[in-house]
Amino acid sequence: MNCWTAKRRSTNFIDGTLRERERARIVRHLNECRTCSNDFEQMRLVRSTLQELPVAKPPANLRAALQVVASRERQAIADGAWSRVRRIWNRWLFRLDDAMRPITLPATGGLASSIILFGALSFTIGTTTRVSNYEVPIMYADHWGANLVPFQLRSSVVLTLNLDGKGRITEYGIRDGSAFFVGDTARLQYNNIAVPDFPSVLAVAQPISRGISISFTPIVYRQ
Amino acid sequence: MAHSLSGNSGSLSILAGAQNGISEEEARILRGLRAGIEGAYQELIDRYEQPIFNMAYRLLGNQTDACDVVQEVFLKVFRSVHSFREQSSLRTWIYRIAVNEAHNHRRWFARHCRREVPLEKHRPDYDYSIELAQDPGRSPYHQALDSETRMMVERALSKINPLFRTAVVLRDIQNMSYEEIADILQISLGTVKSRILRGREALRRELNQQAIPGLAEVLA
Repeated sequence: MNCWTAKRRSTNFIDGTLRERERARIVRHLNECRTCSNDFEQMRLVRSTLQELPVAKPPANLRAALQVVASRERQAIADGAWSRVRRIWNRWLFRLDDAMRPITLPATGGLASSIILFGALSFTIGTTTRVSNYEVPIMYADHWGANLVPFQLRSSVVLTLNLDGKGRITEYGIRDGSAFFVGDTARLQYNNIAVPDFPSVLAVAQPISRGISISFTPIVYRQ
Repeated sequence: MAHSLSGNSGSLSILAGAQNGISEEEARILRGLRAGIEGAYQELIDRYEQPIFNMAYRLLGNQTDACDVVQEVFLKVFRSVHSFREQSSLRTWIYRIAVNEAHNHRRWFARHCRREVPLEKHRPDYDYSIELAQDPGRSPYHQALDSETRMMVERALSKINPLFRTAVVLRDIQNMSYEEIADILQISLGTVKSRILRGREALRRELNQQAIPGLAEVLA
């Protein structure tokens, strides 16, 4: 046996897995070759040193971690076939929550601001639709250029006005008791009928193209 | 059980399986795992936590990395137990997962952490703070000598080629047969013996350079 063959079989020789005949041939070669003998002895020592290495003990928390993993996996089996779907669903839910979290605060702030703003404006919206009672003196002039004097009504009169989107009167009607009179808009100016402004109403609302009913109640003036 | 595999070169290599499928005991554990029985999970952990940790520690040389690998191994075992085809023993299958996981972990570390600057001055080859089983009958002198020898062997082990280191660890530390190693590493028996031989030779050279006392006496 030469050195090359002996080296090839060194693993089996050192591990003691060679047949007796083969083992005897190698022993004969080692008795003759000091280099191979040294190499084999060193390898045997390496093997025995490795075998004598102390066993590395796992840390105590590893057992706890493994038991947690086992518990989770058992739960997944117990949940059945839906567990996989549920895991995927939960994962996507988590990602969605993670993605939405940065914009949650601005969105909440915006919503709160909108509610506060709407709440503040709702008072003004309410006033535009509420019926307002004004005691407005009707002024009358019997001829052009004369000073306007308060016109004294004998009974209650309801003046119905139809306005366009710009607040201009398109038609009007006057109801006096059971009688109803539909007026011509041109006659308003012709007869010097001045319809009073409503600055307090116009200040908070835009004119709408709807009918407005104004009631006139007789009042007495001392001249 | 003998498997015939044809490689890329078209040559056939014979892989001798360690055992014919799984034993009755392993079959019982497998049934329990598949049914989600707590006792089966506990038994698997009791059986394999320590040896898998020991092997991972010897392959990686670091306690934290070994713990990560053990957790990954058990997670994969629990999740893949339904698809395990029982063509090899449960023990071989678990060790195969562990070896692959340790290799992946080492490759990942080498790829991602090579250019990182650690807070410590250097990352030690071996984590010597780990708790090891000590022989209480040894004298303080021999314990010190053992400790010194252990450190040198572990340092040498960390320096050799990972392929050879795996074969040596499975054979000389885990005491596995050639057939089991061939089944775990999915290589032929000849390759197993070759890797063990080259691993031992590499270790011998490393230890000679470090002048380990026992070897120095042999060399003299």
